[in-house]
Amino acid sequence: MLSLQHISKFYQVGGNKNFVINDISLEVEEGEFISIMGPSGSGKSTLLNIIGMLDEPSTGFHYFVDQPVHQLKEKQRAALYKQYIGFVFQAYHLIDELTVYENIETPLIYQDVKGSERKAMVADMLDRFNIVGKKDLFPAQLSGGQQQLVGIARALIAKPKVLLADEPTGNLNSKQGEEIMELFRKLNKEDGVTIIQVTHSEKNAEYGSRIINLLDGRVESSKKL
Amino acid sequence: MIKNYLKTAWRNLAQNKTTSIISVAGLAVGICCFLLLTTYLINELRYDRFHDKADRIVRIAFSHKSADDPEAKTTSVTPTAPVPVFKQELSEIEDGVRIYDYSGNRPAAIQYGDKLLSEKKMLLADDSFFKIFGFKFLAGDRATALASPLSVVITQSTAKRYFGNENPLGKVLKVNQTRSLMVSGVVEDVPEYSQIKFNMVGNYAMLDRSKTREWSSSNDYSYLLLKPGASVPSAQAKMNSYLNKLFKDQTGGGKSWFTLEPLTKVHLYSTAGGGLEPAGNIKYIYILGIVSVILLLLACVNFLNLVTAKSAERAKEIGVRKVMGAQRGQLFFQFITEAGIITFVSLVTGLLLATICFPAFSNFSGQVLSFSTWNTSWLIYALVSLFIIVTLLAGTYPSLYLSAFKPIVTLKGNTGGQAGGNTLRKSLVVFQFVVSVFFIICTLIAGGQLKYIQNLNTGMSRQQVMVLEIGGMPYSSMEPFKNDLMQQPGVQGATATYDSPVNVRGGYSINSADGKASDFELSVIAMPVEKSFIKTMGIHLVQGNDLDLGDEQRVLTPKSEERNYSFILNETAIRAMGWKPKDAIGKHIGLNGRMGTIKAIAKDFNFTSLHDKISPIVMFPEYDWFGKLLVKTNGKNTANTIAAVQTKWHKYYPNTPIEFHFLDQEFEAMYKTEQRTGSILKAFTVVTIFISCLGLFGLAVFSTRQRVKEIGIRKVLGANVMSIVTLISADFLKLVVIAVIISSPLAWYAMGKWLQDFAYRIEINWWVFAVAGGTAILIAFITVSYQSIKAALSNPVKSLRSE
Ligand SMILES: Nc1ncnc2c1ncn2[C@@H]1O[C@H](COP(=O)(O)OP(=O)(O)O)[C@@H](O)[C@H]1O
Ligand SMILES: [Mg+2]
Repeated sequence: MLSLQHISKFYQVGGNKNFVINDISLEVEEGEFISIMGPSGSGKSTLLNIIGMLDEPSTGFHYFVDQPVHQLKEKQRAALYKQYIGFVFQAYHLIDELTVYENIETPLIYQDVKGSERKAMVADMLDRFNIVGKKDLFPAQLSGGQQQLVGIARALIAKPKVLLADEPTGNLNSKQGEEIMELFRKLNKEDGVTIIQVTHSEKNAEYGSRIINLLDGRVESSKKL
Repeated sequence: MIKNYLKTAWRNLAQNKTTSIISVAGLAVGICCFLLLTTYLINELRYDRFHDKADRIVRIAFSHKSADDPEAKTTSVTPTAPVPVFKQELSEIEDGVRIYDYSGNRPAAIQYGDKLLSEKKMLLADDSFFKIFGFKFLAGDRATALASPLSVVITQSTAKRYFGNENPLGKVLKVNQTRSLMVSGVVEDVPEYSQIKFNMVGNYAMLDRSKTREWSSSNDYSYLLLKPGASVPSAQAKMNSYLNKLFKDQTGGGKSWFTLEPLTKVHLYSTAGGGLEPAGNIKYIYILGIVSVILLLLACVNFLNLVTAKSAERAKEIGVRKVMGAQRGQLFFQFITEAGIITFVSLVTGLLLATICFPAFSNFSGQVLSFSTWNTSWLIYALVSLFIIVTLLAGTYPSLYLSAFKPIVTLKGNTGGQAGGNTLRKSLVVFQFVVSVFFIICTLIAGGQLKYIQNLNTGMSRQQVMVLEIGGMPYSSMEPFKNDLMQQPGVQGATATYDSPVNVRGGYSINSADGKASDFELSVIAMPVEKSFIKTMGIHLVQGNDLDLGDEQRVLTPKSEERNYSFILNETAIRAMGWKPKDAIGKHIGLNGRMGTIKAIAKDFNFTSLHDKISPIVMFPEYDWFGKLLVKTNGKNTANTIAAVQTKWHKYYPNTPIEFHFLDQEFEAMYKTEQRTGSILKAFTVVTIFISCLGLFGLAVFSTRQRVKEIGIRKVLGANVMSIVTLISADFLKLVVIAVIISSPLAWYAMGKWLQDFAYRIEINWWVFAVAGGTAILIAFITVSYQSIKAALSNPVKSLRSE
């Protein structure tokens, strides 16, 4: 599915290179469910952003569905991203001015999906996440867990092959977190969605098929479950 | 997609009420002013274009320069000959018309039945008048309307005034009790934007001189209709070579020539003196054009500033949308849509505002203005382009700027680096205040100059002087009336003159003088006066004695060659003759055939517009023709004095309506263009300040919002309200100070130029800049301090907790 080879990311601080990601290589197969762990500041988010093509590595090779991402132009990368990836954030990042319905619909609009089709897809998604009753509310009117559900629904609406989630349960209580993990597992098992999540919770990490531990921008350990 | 954009845009605007209102208010006011000003400009520019043959009509201006004149004098009136002669001689000319302003010297008394009305706008014109000019006929026949010498064509509202709802055709009006004219046509009221304005037009043939072909004595406005395709310069050249041939034997070295002015250029470009109405000035058109564009720009700047300032708050949304797959173009379009909505709302509001403001603005500008001044399709084009231009002006930069945000940075909540645009925002605020301060300075200086003109000691006491129009009334019939007036309480003196002493126009020449060669000729302004003129008008004599009864009697014989004139010259005239004041008294001179001696020298006084330097003037007693009776009152109980004068008038002249005005009003009216521009400027200065303050207010709202946390910490650390207000206000006041520094030299330069148009002008004082700068800073401080005080008073715990 994707492959990182000798990826590094550093910031120039004074005369020194300050490595955030230090020579990481990683192969991800289609259908995997990976949990990335590590202390704060170890480079988890940066790694996820690079995988998701939101951020660029300083050096290294990055292949995504056999395309050399490091050689692609901004536009092509965006197209690839649009086609394959859904992103879920710890801070939800819903658009405050849009209703639940409209937030979920937004990616479809940017992918030029027809109006009638959009309606059906959003309705389906609302159904699936059990939030039909909330569709006309604004984010501020929802609880954190509900907001994250909307965030996930929005990430999934365009049927991505890869779901990237940066601490999706970080702001939720454990029960809400569990529900979301169940949902991820179901997506992974039933729909074959490749999932890479960043998490601090040992328990949530174990929903994955592989756990990668980062420390100071390096892979400290990696184990298959 | 569009629907989605509109929806988000609308919600965004609704949610940020303060900024939306500020943006809309600023833009709406800017658009309103822009529309008002452009309407004014359109009205000026469409002047005289409504005649279907406008592009072929020219006016003849007549210039003359005597050998001893420093420069030529150009007038818009010509003698009787050019029109008939050139119509005959030149193949280029299809037709021509002479127009005489019959009511120019005094209103005509028009009688219909028992109605006696005073008509201020009556012209006499050759019968070709309506064939050349396209005034619309409502009744009567254009081709034959002026065929009879005793016919008259009147306008619609004049018809209403005299005849009510009766059919005006065939009705007979009695003019000045002598002639009966029959109404032969009714035309639509003459539009405001016509240089030829009239209520009625009689036939030029009514005048004795109509049959003559004179080349001297200019009284008529002459217009020619050129054949299609004829060239103006070639016609003009032929006219002048004809004139040169005609006068080639004339000695004296004087020179005359004609200039053909295209009809549509007369109003704004003509420099010929004394037209049918005061000329406009293309310079002011440019100035107002620039002002209107600047106002619009200022309003756009406000919007632009507010949107970029807000960018910090929108960074997250932009990031999310990008992660959701939005391309830069799509985001750009979204933000442009928002700008478009704001612009649209502002445009509608601005249109409404302008509609409301039109009556006041018309009043103010002295022109009848409304949206009907526009051609409808033009107006639609203009509004559409205005919409597009303002949207792009106000929306492009913020949209480009916002849509370029990198999602990963914005989502980290770290907008500091990107959401800046600080330098740009600050420069824009500086720009706004540069304009505001510039306007304030201009207004102050222009106001000072106009006031200076009003209060300038012009060497003549023009206060409390009533000017009665007596238009050629015989002296014998005027004298008893005048003597009776002098008995009235409140009347200090009365004296008759040819012309109004604040605007003397009579062009004469001194063509013989002691010790000068026989072909000597010096053009001067001269004016027949009564012997009491100098005393009544308070003109100071530096040499010699005032006119007396003896001087009067020596000019009373009807035969002019037997008369012996006593002349009073001003100091400038004496200098122009090359004499010393003390030697000049008693010298013999001849003024267009009037022979006599110099009796006195008057201290220089202003007898024309203060735009011009004082030129040589000669005053001499001559009782043949007086145009005005000047009644000097003591200024106490003026209403009573006026009433007394009116009563006496009606007693002596029961069949002539009284017409009078005050001399200082007439004086001030000469600066109408300046005054008008001055008051327009004043109004727009207020608007500029308003718009700039709106912008400043908006920015203050943001900067305090952004600095809430800083303010909170400072307060926790013990800062007091005053120090926080200072902290925040200082940032903005710095910008205003910079603006004052930039603006002052610009304004100093521009107003220096403007003042050069006045021969008599004020010095630009440093305090003007201080006052303008101080005003701007004060207003800016008040605007900002509301926000900063609010911030300083807020509870620090609240702001810190929310972080
Ligand atoms: N723009 C930047 N400049 C310098 N250092 C940065 C920048 N962005 C992130 N970092 C550093 O990168 C490191 C890793 O960040 P991140 O990937 O967000 O860690 P994690 O998600 O594991 O907590 C942090 O130490 C952070 O200080
Ligand atoms: Mg992180």
